[in-house]
Amino acid sequence: MGSSSYVRYRISPQPAPDIAPHPNRFRVEVKRTRLAALLLKDLYYYHANLAVVSSRPCVYGTFSGPVGGFAVRPAFCVGCLRCTVEHPDVVQIRPNPQRARLGDSYFTPDKVDTVMQEAATGQIPVRGAGYRGAFAGQGWDSMWTDMSEIVRPTRDGIHGREFISTAVDVGERPAFLTFDAAGNPCGPVPRSLNLPIPFLFDVPAVAAESATLYRGLVEAAARLQTLAIVPVRCVLDLGLHGPAIAPLATPAEIELLQRLPGPPQVAELDAWEESAFHTIRERFPETAVFVRIPLERDLMPLVCAGVRLFHLTADYHGRCGGPFARDAIRTAHASLVKDGLREETVLIGSGGVITASDVAKAIICGLDAVALDTAVLAALQAGFEGECVSRASAVIRMPEFEPAWAAQRLTNLVAAWRDQILEILGAMGLREVRRLRGELGRAMFQEDLERDAFAGIAGFER
Amino acid sequence: MVASSEENPSQALITERHVAALRRGFQDWPRRSSPPPALGDRRWTADLILATWTQAETGLPPADGSEYRVGASGGGFDRLEFRFLPESQWLPAVTPIDLSIPLNRRPCDPKIDIPIPWYGAGMSFGSVSEQVMVARVIAAQRWQTFTCTGEGGYPESLIPYRDHVITQIATGMFGIREETIQFAPIVEFKYAQGAKPGLGGHLLADKTTVAVAKMREAVPWVSLFSPFPFHSVYSVEDHRKHVDWVKTVNPQALVAVKVSTPTDIDMVAVGSYYAGAHILQIDGSYGGTGAAPEVAKKDIAMPIEYAIPKVHRYLVAEGVRDEIVVMASGGIRTAHDIAKTIALGADGCVLGTTELVALGCTRCSNCERGRGCPYGITTTDPELSLLIEPAWGADRISNVYASFQSQLCELLRRFGLTSVRALRGRTDLLRYRKPGGAIE
Repeated sequence: MGSSSYVRYRISPQPAPDIAPHPNRFRVEVKRTRLAALLLKDLYYYHANLAVVSSRPCVYGTFSGPVGGFAVRPAFCVGCLRCTVEHPDVVQIRPNPQRARLGDSYFTPDKVDTVMQEAATGQIPVRGAGYRGAFAGQGWDSMWTDMSEIVRPTRDGIHGREFISTAVDVGERPAFLTFDAAGNPCGPVPRSLNLPIPFLFDVPAVAAESATLYRGLVEAAARLQTLAIVPVRCVLDLGLHGPAIAPLATPAEIELLQRLPGPPQVAELDAWEESAFHTIRERFPETAVFVRIPLERDLMPLVCAGVRLFHLTADYHGRCGGPFARDAIRTAHASLVKDGLREETVLIGSGGVITASDVAKAIICGLDAVALDTAVLAALQAGFEGECVSRASAVIRMPEFEPAWAAQRLTNLVAAWRDQILEILGAMGLREVRRLRGELGRAMFQEDLERDAFAGIAGFER
Repeated sequence: MVASSEENPSQALITERHVAALRRGFQDWPRRSSPPPALGDRRWTADLILATWTQAETGLPPADGSEYRVGASGGGFDRLEFRFLPESQWLPAVTPIDLSIPLNRRPCDPKIDIPIPWYGAGMSFGSVSEQVMVARVIAAQRWQTFTCTGEGGYPESLIPYRDHVITQIATGMFGIREETIQFAPIVEFKYAQGAKPGLGGHLLADKTTVAVAKMREAVPWVSLFSPFPFHSVYSVEDHRKHVDWVKTVNPQALVAVKVSTPTDIDMVAVGSYYAGAHILQIDGSYGGTGAAPEVAKKDIAMPIEYAIPKVHRYLVAEGVRDEIVVMASGGIRTAHDIAKTIALGADGCVLGTTELVALGCTRCSNCERGRGCPYGITTTDPELSLLIEPAWGADRISNVYASFQSQLCELLRRFGLTSVRALRGRTDLLRYRKPGGAIE
């Protein structure tokens, strides 16, 4: 690439406030008679010095209305508890039970909240006072990424003057070229398909589908120079167009691809059917054709049939017929490495990836890129009814919104996630996300660490 | 100097009113039948926070049965418990127990022992108020241990206590002056920190007040980044050069090295030894007092519970374990955590958050927001910082130290050990509790 053609990839987050009511983190309960008594007592004690008596314990404005604690502003409460520490009999702060209804058992309320904050601001969540969560957990929460004591990128640098690439190539790349007698390539040729970020947008849950959602997804994908996977029927019905669309077709729908205005850059075959796959390949020789299959499926028969681009799906809780996606991805990646096929294949994954660090960890386990599903919905303030486990069964309430709002929320989410991936890469001393793929030596798994650290301690069995 | 509000009588009264109310609250809440409903988290449960307030008040663990030993994180220290001797073999209560540890195990350089196996973590002026720094150092002096400046300069108010202050040199070199190295008994190089492993330091613009900027010789109201890493250190030899530099400025100083917990922490440890460090501080990712990206705290670098045995065993295998002091930090909350840390292989601990909880921190995680901590701890706001009066704060921290001391003595008595040094690496005295198992 010539220097004159180089344009640094940037995402422009803009504030995109919530459009649906979002429950406050805390409930602020004030006993008004006790507050009145407190104020009267202090008026007497401080000789009616109003500056003193009206000084409030909250520095965030929860009691800053014209009548102070008599009309609280719970939206401002951040849970510092100073008010209740100072006046335990007057004010009580409680976690808002409505918050517990956000998300589900996998996409926990805290994680939904984080995604919503990222989507609203585009900023990395920063908090003080150490980590507050569980020591570890299932799946992605049972692994940590490495850091290097001696690396070059710096925290100011990775967001500024220094460059870490988050680009991934999800195109076809044959292991070797063949040439005819005249020296012209005669076999498969590489068809590079660069995405500047290791995310694309997966087809949303059925219950969430709407024209505005698809328009928002496509607009966000176009802005971010990535892809939105959209059912081919929706592409046709809504008149969607542009290189950011990756139409998704079941084997029964492949004829619909013919009705698109032009050959798509990327298409996805929803479930494996060899004849359908070859039909698409023949009709659209320039199209990168992904095959969408469950993550636990053995890839080798498909590889033998000529498939090189895979979209591996787990359910929305990261499960795939038993094991968590973390282990299934490692298995798939390792089997391709063992057979010398990994460099020819592309693995996109979806299901259970709900934080920025999950993306990095999924790539470490072997994916090239991640298709975002429930995180997209959470960013758009979707409400989950019960457990949101699969695309078909999830019951989801979407708020009313405009595509432009959705596009900005998703742009913000991706900006925040990309910045966090830069933090992770910077800490590891890696300058491009492609080097992260399968880099298991730069990850730490709880079971390994625990075995090394605690082996020999009574009661430890693993 | 510590700010005052003498110029504004109303402000002084406002401060007085809130200080009095806060102190009543710190006393009152642990005595109530139920904790504040929104207090606590998995690592620092409401019980643990209130128990620390009780200890800060009384110098003793709570006697009401509330949990003061472990949190509810579900892993690490919270899954380890002790294997005591049968009660008939416990040492008599009158048996003297030695909690002292040496901070220099090398044959050369000054010998410094501390009578308790911990000292205070680096917290910079800017990340915490000057009042908090003074409170911490008074407590350190009282207990003949140390506290650390962090990377933010050396306020003049610390100079009277300089024999108990570790001068930290970090990558931003903020506030580093020759004299602050010359009068430091220990100089600490911060290569990395657990809260932001591999990412350097970052003081947000709102906290870079005029006073903070002056101390750091920087521009006010601008974000201050400490780059990562030391760009002059790419090898053990470069590291050695740093040590030599400090020893040239202050030949009597011990050198501590603070690092995070990468996969190759064992190699980092042995490299630090060969570079000439006296103390290696390994800082796990779950602790840290400063504001940091959540992803850095949760997902980058290993928890300290895993790093300690790895380092200890490697240094033993290298045959250098008895020449370097290993201090662990990053998520050590209680006396029981300290004992587990030492049993896993550290010589001692470095405490940060525990001290702040003693001062009233509720771990609301809003250190970086607006004016900073509403309790006057992690703030440089001139009004809020007056909520911590150094002498009061020193008493609180000192009382927690007293409680930890008595608990450690009791634990050692039950192990049949008369010295905390004998506990190091005794993983046979630990038991791994299965999920859901009760704590003994």
